Amino acid sequence: MDDIDAMFSDLLGEMDLLTQSLGQETVPPAPLPSTENEANFSIGFTDLNESLHELEDNDLDALMADLVADLNATEEKLAAEIEGLKVPPSDQTLPPPPTDLSSRPASSLISPTSPASSGSNVSTPSSSATSPLPPPQSKKPTKEEIEAQMKADKIKLALEKLKEAKVKKLVVKVLMNDGCSKTLMVDERQNVREVLDNMFEKTHCDCNVDWSLCETNPELQLERTFEDHENLVEPLLAWTRDSENKILFQERGEKYEVFKNPQNFYLWKKDKKALKDIKDKDKEILIQENFCGTSIIVPDLEGVLYLKEDGKKSWKQRLFQLRASGIYYVPKGKTKSSRDLVCFVQFDNVNVYYGKDFKGKYKAPTDFCFVLKHPQIQKESQYIKYLCSDDAWSMNLWVTGIRIAKYGASLYENFKTAEKKAAVSAVWTNRSTPSSSNPSTPSPTIKAKSPSQANGHAPKPQPGPVSQDFGNVPPPPPPPLGDILPPPPPDPTLPPPPPPLAAKSSFKRQLPSNFPPPPSAMDNLPPPPPPPPMDDSLEAPPDFLPPPPPAAGFGSLPPPPPSMVNSLPPPPPAASFGGMDLPPPPPDPGFLPPPPPPSQPAFTGAGAPPPPPPPPPPPPGPAATPRIAVRPAGSLKKVPPAPPKRTTPALHGGGGGGGGGGGGGGDFMSELMRAMQKKRPDQ
Amino acid sequence: MAAWDLSVTVEDLGSDALPVTVSVTSDLHVGGVILKLVEKTQIKRDWSDHALWWEQKQQWLLRTAWTLEKYGVHADARLLFMPQHKPLKLGLPNGITLRLRASFSCPAFQTVIGICRILNIRHPEELSLLRPVEEKKKKKDKDLAQDIYDLTEVPLSSVSQSCLYNGMPAHFVGSPQMEAIYKMLSVTQPPPAPEVIAKQYRPASVVDKAHINGRWLDSSRCLMQQGIQENDRLWLRFKYFAFYDIEPKYDVVRLTQLYEQARWAILLEDIDCTEEEMMLFGALQYHISKVAQSEPQMLSTNAAMDDLDSALQSLEVKMVGESSSASELLENMTAPELNDYLKIFRPKRLTLKGYKQYWFKFQDTSISYFKSKEESIGEPIQQINLKGCEVAPDINVAAQKFLIRLLIPAPEGMNEVYLRCENEQQYAQWMAACRLASKGKSLADSSFQSEIQSIRSFLAMQKTNSHGNAPASDESINTHSLVSPRYHKKYKPKQLTPRILDAYQNVAQLSLTDAVMRFLQIWQALPDFGLSYVVVRFKGSRKDEVLGIAPNRLIRIDLGVGDVVKTWRYNNMKQWNVNWDIRQVAIEFEGNVNIAFSCVTADCKIVHEFIGGYIFMSTRSREKSDTLNAELFHKLTGGHEAL
Repeated sequence: MDDIDAMFSDLLGEMDLLTQSLGQETVPPAPLPSTENEANFSIGFTDLNESLHELEDNDLDALMADLVADLNATEEKLAAEIEGLKVPPSDQTLPPPPTDLSSRPASSLISPTSPASSGSNVSTPSSSATSPLPPPQSKKPTKEEIEAQMKADKIKLALEKLKEAKVKKLVVKVLMNDGCSKTLMVDERQNVREVLDNMFEKTHCDCNVDWSLCETNPELQLERTFEDHENLVEPLLAWTRDSENKILFQERGEKYEVFKNPQNFYLWKKDKKALKDIKDKDKEILIQENFCGTSIIVPDLEGVLYLKEDGKKSWKQRLFQLRASGIYYVPKGKTKSSRDLVCFVQFDNVNVYYGKDFKGKYKAPTDFCFVLKHPQIQKESQYIKYLCSDDAWSMNLWVTGIRIAKYGASLYENFKTAEKKAAVSAVWTNRSTPSSSNPSTPSPTIKAKSPSQANGHAPKPQPGPVSQDFGNVPPPPPPPLGDILPPPPPDPTLPPPPPPLAAKSSFKRQLPSNFPPPPSAMDNLPPPPPPPPMDDSLEAPPDFLPPPPPAAGFGSLPPPPPSMVNSLPPPPPAASFGGMDLPPPPPDPGFLPPPPPPSQPAFTGAGAPPPPPPPPPPPPGPAATPRIAVRPAGSLKKVPPAPPKRTTPALHGGGGGGGGGGGGGGDFMSELMRAMQKKRPDQ
Repeated sequence: MAAWDLSVTVEDLGSDALPVTVSVTSDLHVGGVILKLVEKTQIKRDWSDHALWWEQKQQWLLRTAWTLEKYGVHADARLLFMPQHKPLKLGLPNGITLRLRASFSCPAFQTVIGICRILNIRHPEELSLLRPVEEKKKKKDKDLAQDIYDLTEVPLSSVSQSCLYNGMPAHFVGSPQMEAIYKMLSVTQPPPAPEVIAKQYRPASVVDKAHINGRWLDSSRCLMQQGIQENDRLWLRFKYFAFYDIEPKYDVVRLTQLYEQARWAILLEDIDCTEEEMMLFGALQYHISKVAQSEPQMLSTNAAMDDLDSALQSLEVKMVGESSSASELLENMTAPELNDYLKIFRPKRLTLKGYKQYWFKFQDTSISYFKSKEESIGEPIQQINLKGCEVAPDINVAAQKFLIRLLIPAPEGMNEVYLRCENEQQYAQWMAACRLASKGKSLADSSFQSEIQSIRSFLAMQKTNSHGNAPASDESINTHSLVSPRYHKKYKPKQLTPRILDAYQNVAQLSLTDAVMRFLQIWQALPDFGLSYVVVRFKGSRKDEVLGIAPNRLIRIDLGVGDVVKTWRYNNMKQWNVNWDIRQVAIEFEGNVNIAFSCVTADCKIVHEFIGGYIFMSTRSREKSDTLNAELFHKLTGGHEAL
């Protein structure tokens, strides 16, 4: 036991050191015990020192308070754990250690060459303290093992310290919309996403995907939103000593607009009304096509822009074209064919910025200007390229197009992460109010959250004994989600009627159903869990939802039988917000009792206990059974030889065309539909 | 029932032999006829692949259980008894011709599946057969000299895709000839000589491109029905530009051939690109050919081995890391540097100062310079961090000019700096260092040596080019081999070299597979990618226009100007019909949009197949990637035959 104690004091020492190093240079020593080893510890805080001087006192206080609070929280946690470990470890009654520790593979602790995996843990004292904990032992380790372990730990600690010493850190003041500001410490390994997450915790905002960090350059009158995957420290180091640049924390709708309304970027030539009316299914297809293929497709932009001439305040018009490889223009008197295009700029070394009030500053024809420049350039220079478009709409088109060309797949990855974060936060927000009655509901989402939080912040003490041992806890009865989640439109959630009735329904009707037909679902499943609440059947749909985070929407619902996933049509938009990428709540649906069976009560009448499954349909295939039932096998072959005029396959319901193809047509179409549906949810 | 005589020509008896006559009755089934026939010929061999072909009706009698009456065969029928699989000369995307046995009796779609199974290409639905463009007569004798790879001996039964030996499908293992064929299939070809590129047929206009699309075989009819004879030449090409689930581990041949098709499309200007893009394509081709030559097996067999190697390597690193203490690690961490006398020139406005010599030190990602070597312990005159800078070569080997041009970003703008090196050796080292530094990598980076190597080989290239007709060695490729003929006229090889080198620095570190993938990605990102053109006449219009068929949309293009007039996406399509009598395609889109057109440069069946084929491609789902729904494909593309 002494060994373990010694180890912990070691750890605490390291923690203190980190805090202290902060304290030493900036504020009167923090009231924390300090210990040995100082000699080993060099500090790379040159920039920190400088920037700290510029801070006002209250900023500093806040910052320190933050750090100390983090520390204290961890310390308490640690203390609790030490207590726990002091209990003789030989017996089986040892309280199960928190899962987040036990799940950490022991090997990762001793391998000093895998800093990448643990790297993010070191950025603040709090979490670096937790990582070197030995895995809690259920059997008593031998002395040699402990020694070996300790040695490994020490090596690791030493390496981490070395690394830590080299890491650049900046204290950053972030301006909020309301005029006040938050101060936080950012180290060079943190990307913008992590910093945003920090800000979310500090501000308790709604965490939606639009929240961004923006950089403004008052001297050049420029601003841009940082991309979530960028490292924050690097661009900040490019600022000059006397820079008036600022960092803003703002909601910027245009940041991920392309994923919310891809049609405005990829079909911009179509008329505005058609774009407005576009179906969500089509939006999804657009995203699939352009962001999920082997190659990222850049919107096909072409148009006249004004270009500021070098060193002059005059602007000349040129016909520009955006391609994946750069921006080109059509030289005077040449055709638009690719081979004649002249390269204007490639994106490797430039970023795109919005220009503010260029009408006044540079006599631009409009105020819808954007700029391409190397991020290091901070003052006026011939190497900055100024462009001006006719309206805000086309400016956004170009700026977004350039970002897609420059960042490619990262942009979509960023969006998906942001969406996930937003969905998780929505759960948290909702949880704090009405849903406290069923504390275990959001447990899976906590899991989803923790990895994205690895930026070195101590996890907030999680309320309740929530996700500690998720895998073994049977899912709770379906929560009354109705009050949190706006009840989905009844239509799509209604399961299709039982097979015999469905047989004649056109598949237009079946298309919007979010649920696979009940019979086959029940067929696959062990006996149903407790019957759904016995309310009126009209309000029933929400009750059929398994317990996912409410905001996750239907896209993330684990459909009752796993094999059914593919027959789901794309989720409705409102519901799909944030949903698609959430891992379905149960880590493995197979191990869980199924969610309450959809439907039967809803149809047969309220209050009825779930009736036994209807007569089993033909082997449940991946496709909806009713449709199989309709299909007269081999009917096509019976159609007489080709009539002179014939209808070839139709795509959508309208059986259209001549009667000739009609007979086999519907049947064929249903097959096609099925095939297409199968494809769609597959993202 | 009365017996009558049926005469059948048996191909195996030779072309001069008289038809064999068998006595049959109308209720005899085809199998019985064949049995009688075989008995009569008295040849003992495997007849299992043979079947009867009815010449007048252009039809195979494949249902052996059907009676002659049911088929409508009478005494006047000219029947041919011959194998269903016949040798075919197949032009591959890489330009090489292969002889193999293909089915002449099943629909071309199935024939392609069979061919792809032999060649080990997954997703055969993306490929099809094309009648080749006629070559000029005079080069005929040269063609005969070209050695043809022969796969006709592969027993059809032994072809199974799933098992690989030594990274090759089983039927390629065994003889050196077969292994050579597999190597040809799975390794990219060296860049073609510029004359070869110039000699090839190049479509000069959209109309020319449209004509090529008139040559696709009908996928629902068999080769015999389409007039293809034994030993005829056909091209195997990727027809649908929706490449599904590319997996370098399994798709060695597919990826290689796809790359070759893309490369030729670029070289022959089948698809337009800008000069910058052409240089990047050139650089990638250069890199791919270099890597493929040095490690010919990398793309093909050793994907798994690579994994193992890298795993072993990282394990090694781990163990080294674990055993050494922190202090040891520190000692090993002394970063490499470059130190030398170089000349520097900083062009500023109104100064005409020349190059001045200093002692330079390259450390991490920065250059520092000092008055002399002796003073290098103290403060440098200046230190320049190269991270994020632009590096460009300015060299002339003949004149012994080795300049490195640096554009270094600073808050005030970009600073231009020239470094002058004395010789190739020095230049290669410093240039490599500058390149790495511009990307934020230090000299310690593992790619440093290979970067030096590639700069040297480019220098060598320039040297041979400047001597004119030096024999092309491995190291030096004529840069004209990497770009389309347009640039042969525009630039001399010597002028092209620095431009390709410039693009090359961004791709030089890619592995073979990554480079091939990058090539394909850039190709797919071109605005015109995936468009197959057909000249059509829209209903109500009096002039010919071009219909572009893409994986996700149809576009209407003005023939004169080349502008896109209108775009329709398939996912808004409600139905499409073909009126086979007046050969008109009619399509209905959502929102009551109806279009109709007749096809000028291709049969409307080909257009119908393209549209149906793309719809089919979009229905493929990940789960069922292994099973090809041939029936659905046929329904979507078959037209008449689908009934």
